[in-house]
Amino acid sequence: MKIERSELGKKAGELKAQGYSYLVKITAVDYEKYIEVVYMLRNLSENRDETLEVDVDPADAWVPTVIREFPAADWYEREMFEMFGIEIKGREARRLLLEKWNGKPAPLRKNFVWNAPYETSD
Amino acid sequence: MVTRINIGPVHPSTHGVLRLVADVDGDTVVNLEPHIGFLHRGVEKLVETRMYMQNPPYMEKLDYIAPMSYDDAYVATVEKAMGVEVKERAMWVRTVLLELQRIASHLLWLGTMANDVGQFFTVFMWAFTDRDMVMRLLEEASGARMFYVNMRIGGLIRDLPPGFGEKAGEVLAYIEKRIKKYENFLEKDPLFTERMKGIGVLSRERAIELGVTGPVLRGSGVGYDVRKNNAYYVYDKLNFRPQTRSDGDCFARYKVRMLEMAESIRLVREALAKMPEGDALGMPIKLILPSAKNRMVSLSRETPRGECLMYMVADSQKPYRLSIRAPTFINLAAMPEISRGCRTADIFAISGSLDLVMGDVDR
Repeated sequence: MKIERSELGKKAGELKAQGYSYLVKITAVDYEKYIEVVYMLRNLSENRDETLEVDVDPADAWVPTVIREFPAADWYEREMFEMFGIEIKGREARRLLLEKWNGKPAPLRKNFVWNAPYETSD
Repeated sequence: MVTRINIGPVHPSTHGVLRLVADVDGDTVVNLEPHIGFLHRGVEKLVETRMYMQNPPYMEKLDYIAPMSYDDAYVATVEKAMGVEVKERAMWVRTVLLELQRIASHLLWLGTMANDVGQFFTVFMWAFTDRDMVMRLLEEASGARMFYVNMRIGGLIRDLPPGFGEKAGEVLAYIEKRIKKYENFLEKDPLFTERMKGIGVLSRERAIELGVTGPVLRGSGVGYDVRKNNAYYVYDKLNFRPQTRSDGDCFARYKVRMLEMAESIRLVREALAKMPEGDALGMPIKLILPSAKNRMVSLSRETPRGECLMYMVADSQKPYRLSIRAPTFINLAAMPEISRGCRTADIFAISGSLDLVMGDVDR
């Protein structure tokens, strides 16, 4: 289901109320013109899956957090911030999770250049 | 007074490098933070630069305790993107191999878990010896001891060798006896039970909210198993019951895995008996080309550690994007909450009961 970035919090809350309380995964795909952020939710009692897709502009990449609806989002959001450079608004900033990588562009973006010298910091 | 202590980077029964920073008040853990990334190899980026069937060896190195389950998950994702049907016999053979892999993986976990809680090396040596028997079976079927790479599009690189059924039957009968022995040995041992029962309790509600998966989820009383709820291959033709326990503590997670081993033995026997004759060989590598560009596929598999979900955007030659939901990543993310309030020494009982493989966590 494609939705706008501004409705994400509302939609996530609605789905949670409908029983989609299990967050399977948050991931992102860089299509170069836009980045698609994918939220996979599951209703365990009815055994049904639902996907929320939010398109963001690569130059202004941010999404609101869903950590209050889905506590499982914590590490997924941190991973996405580090690997895609998508800022997560509305939650406290946490230590980088995997590579301690804050060079630009983020590693999983398509314009990331292999073997180029990047600075890392801890 | 709260003291911050650093544990590691160590290589406990987690297979890989994990660093934990614990805030302790006396001997009680107030907060715990796992530091991961020591084994981050950027596999998700790497596969974008390789053609489809160059990738299974990388997938196997993610979870090197149960390589075949990852191999299968990846190849099945490519098959789904291409719209290829798996041959009937190949589905049965894959089911047998995957369940054997589950037994091997759980045996390794059992040995290292017992080590973690102070039952030093007896069970470890036993379980490793038994695991090697299962691995020898897998070696006969695939040609490699540890990293099999035997899945091909639509089937396998080779069919089961002649006489595999009888050999597997002997090994399984032996392992079945051994599982009873392990249970007798460990569950009557206060050294083991007192460090497992009531430790690291995760309630049903919190397990769902934290998104844990696999035996950890089933140990908290949620009967979700991809093999049942979203059955693939021939699991719906077999008499399969997901194993659950409602206590949610380390002992429940231990018990779920023990029951799963017994269940896997039943499944392998049943599948070997019902397996049809026919062709199980996959396509030669050159023929691989997904028909649709930018086709999005996602696929779930129940690996020994939990649900592995592969989300792939296919391109004509290479995956455009492959996102892997690693089961141990999210189980480790739940560890701070599970550990809160426990004793410092129980941290390793808990990390052991989560069955972490750091290659899988970090990817």
